[in-house]
Amino acid sequence: MDYPVWFLPGIGGGFFIALIAIVHVFVSHFAVGGGLYLVWTERKGLRENNLRILEFTRRHTGFFMLLTMVFGGITGVGIWFIISLVNPAATSKLIHLFVYGWAAEWVWFLVEIIALLVYYYTFGRMDSTRHQIVGWIYAAAAWLSLFLINGIIDFMLTPGQWLENGRFWSGFFNPTFWPALFFRSFFAFMLAGLYGFVNSVRIADAETRRTMARYNGKWSLGFLALLLPSAWWYLQALPQPARELVLGASPTIRAAIPWAIAGLAGVISLTVLLTLARPTSKSLPLALATLIPAFFMMGSFEWTREAARRPFVINQYMYSTGVTLARAEALKGQSYLANTRFASVRQVKDDNLSVAGAELFKFQCYACHTIGGLNNDILQRTSAMDYKGMVNYLLKVMHKRPYMPPFLGTEKEAQALAAYLIGDLQGKPVDLASLETTTSPGQELYEENCVGCHGLDIIRDWTRGQSVDEVVVGLGSLSELNESMENFAGSIEQKRQLALFLKGGGAGGLQAKAVLEENCTGCHGLETIREWSSSLSKKKILEGIGRLGALNPMMEGISLEPDQLQSVAEWLKTSAKGGAK
Amino acid sequence: MNALVPLPDSIPVTWGWFQFFLMLTFPLHLFFMNAVLGTTAVAAYSHLRGDDLSRDLAHELAKVIPLLIALAVNFGVAPLLFVQVLYGNFLYTSSILIGMFWIMIVPLLLASYYATYWYDFRFFSLGRKGVLLLLFAWLIFLVIGFVFSNNMTLMLSPDAWTAYLGNSSGTLLNTSDTTLWPRYLHFMVGGSAIGGLFVALYGRYLGRTNSLLGVRAETLGLKLFLILSVAQIIVGVWFLLSLPRAQMLLFMGRDLPASSIFCAALVLIVVALIGAWRRRLYLTAISAAGLVILMVFMRDFVRRGYLGNIFSLKALEVRSDYSPLVFFLVTLVIGLALVIWMLRAAWCSSRS
Repeated sequence: MDYPVWFLPGIGGGFFIALIAIVHVFVSHFAVGGGLYLVWTERKGLRENNLRILEFTRRHTGFFMLLTMVFGGITGVGIWFIISLVNPAATSKLIHLFVYGWAAEWVWFLVEIIALLVYYYTFGRMDSTRHQIVGWIYAAAAWLSLFLINGIIDFMLTPGQWLENGRFWSGFFNPTFWPALFFRSFFAFMLAGLYGFVNSVRIADAETRRTMARYNGKWSLGFLALLLPSAWWYLQALPQPARELVLGASPTIRAAIPWAIAGLAGVISLTVLLTLARPTSKSLPLALATLIPAFFMMGSFEWTREAARRPFVINQYMYSTGVTLARAEALKGQSYLANTRFASVRQVKDDNLSVAGAELFKFQCYACHTIGGLNNDILQRTSAMDYKGMVNYLLKVMHKRPYMPPFLGTEKEAQALAAYLIGDLQGKPVDLASLETTTSPGQELYEENCVGCHGLDIIRDWTRGQSVDEVVVGLGSLSELNESMENFAGSIEQKRQLALFLKGGGAGGLQAKAVLEENCTGCHGLETIREWSSSLSKKKILEGIGRLGALNPMMEGISLEPDQLQSVAEWLKTSAKGGAK
Repeated sequence: MNALVPLPDSIPVTWGWFQFFLMLTFPLHLFFMNAVLGTTAVAAYSHLRGDDLSRDLAHELAKVIPLLIALAVNFGVAPLLFVQVLYGNFLYTSSILIGMFWIMIVPLLLASYYATYWYDFRFFSLGRKGVLLLLFAWLIFLVIGFVFSNNMTLMLSPDAWTAYLGNSSGTLLNTSDTTLWPRYLHFMVGGSAIGGLFVALYGRYLGRTNSLLGVRAETLGLKLFLILSVAQIIVGVWFLLSLPRAQMLLFMGRDLPASSIFCAALVLIVVALIGAWRRRLYLTAISAAGLVILMVFMRDFVRRGYLGNIFSLKALEVRSDYSPLVFFLVTLVIGLALVIWMLRAAWCSSRS
């Protein structure tokens, strides 16, 4: 709230960070592992007095330089640029707290550049002992860069004692520093072997090609074997709730796990193929294909690490919105817009609800949500809600969600944000008067506890075929359905009220609408259905929606359950009389 | 304080340390950045001339351009770090306002970097077409300089930040600032002049093995320096006059250190011009290097003048934690020792 927000609603700043970060990370880890690989391979060539291996090393160094020094170096600066654009408050904190860590990393970056240039341009011209020393200096400098950056990255996930004492070293040697260092180091070394294939398949001599393929295979699989226990150690070092999230509680992380497993399987199988089955392969596409699963592994890991600290950018210290916990606490009950420097609206009135809401979205939601974009689309997330439900969600529910920061601001500001989300973005009515109407206790419980994650349609699937009593029992053991859900902790009476609502008592309209939105609105609007049904009796409506294919061949195959048919027909009849919206 | 200026974060040691490192590392970035600009221009010019000697020179220069870029980027990281520590709340804000252009620096720089490598590694097979790559890279360097000038002027003008309220997509530029163009030209013209001097110095090195080539590089480089330095005097006066009166008067006697540095810079300009005219290369180079350093100090006076009413470095909160500074200094010493050892080893192997 101190800084302006670079607002690209259809794309989202996170997309740029992910784009630059993942490709950078993949190359920079190669830069770290490749140092050891190069000098070790040169040593092998010298020991075996094999000029072909030395020539391979020289060529590989050229490739390495063009990829890591140019692409890796510039995208590394690029990450710095993009994080300062997307999350300036967190970047500022990291820069100010760790300035001498960054400065030391800059020193090793300089040493890396000089070492790599000297290593490449003097290959075969410098005496071999000195040349190898230069190689070792490169390897050490590259690894020390990782050592430093690792401390700062993991600080964001596990700030540890720093939260209490604010000291540099407490933040740097945080609870996940060591496992992450080993994990990243082994990953970097493994990657270096995989990159080795890219050049070894281009060696002209078949025997040398075979030798190097086996060398690369042993190298990669050896470090992969060390990587796996270090990943386990890393996981064990995570504090709660991060570990729970990583172990599957977070749907975002769950989505990444299959990619990681597929990546691991891909790396193993392709490496084995290139090492044992086809060691003399000259296929560059095959060698490059080996990198793809490794890319998935790395991407899944970084994705998981980022998601595990949600909704924080610096865990337990600063939300993704750039607001610290302390500031959020101090802001309770105060106007958010009045305290936001770059907001174009500073006060919410009845006639500027949408504009003020748009500003609130920009400064409070956009850090994680796009509008119609790939990442965390707010249109999808809010599609099941109406105006009243949205206001209720912002004020009463959001702070209970494990990966959402609390809504900050006044009640009027919540109304403004809801007006923007539901009125402007979803095109649904914004009825301030509806806020005054009473809601059934069951619906209120539903809105407080369920609607943030899923619409009524999903719950209805679950309640179908169950009695109210069975739903009551089920509400008490929701975690058995899905680990990321908490068991509903309300009283028996509340469980009953909620179960009744979920089963349809007093909420037929909501159910029917959900059914229609699920099945019909992908092709046509509700208005089309209303027009069709307006002059029909309930019986005729039931017949019509019972045989949709007869109405329009395009709808052949769409069928509704008997109870759905009933509630939809009823709702359409009420709706035609102007009773339901 | 302007209501739009974000609150700064606390710093771990007194601001003087960061100011010291900033003033130490920024001239180094400028030396390499200038060398990139000048070397690329001279290489392109030589390539276009087309005679054998000129092409040989273009080829020799092609080999060093990527290395100069690597060092310009590396030595850009340090001052960018220290300036963020001291003025981050200004710089982050202005960066966001021009976000789209600011982030474009990354792919542009990448493209130019690869273009120069391509030009170097495929010099002969590319033939005359190769110069297009070089011109492409050179153009990008000029564009990047323009984006930097925009950001560095915008960060000093919080009053102009209100433009964000009407455009938050990061496509703003600071073109309404009257100092923008003279400042930009001051950097590009002056930078290219110093770059010319780098070519002349490199020519001295090349002359050890190929005297004709060395003389050509030295002559061209000095000529570029001389012509652009004269042009720079005009641009410099324009820049000075475009500054707000309060900042301009800093150098006209209102502030003794600023005025003294300005006078010393004028003396060095004269010495450098005479040196170039008489082909006294080392004298010219030393004067020009001194000039770059003085310009960095003058720039700092201008910045403080701009922000004086709303911000003071002395007001930054210090939460003392000196051990990381010691760690950095030890790292720096070790790193520099390794760099020196490696450069010596490379130098020895090139002579043997």
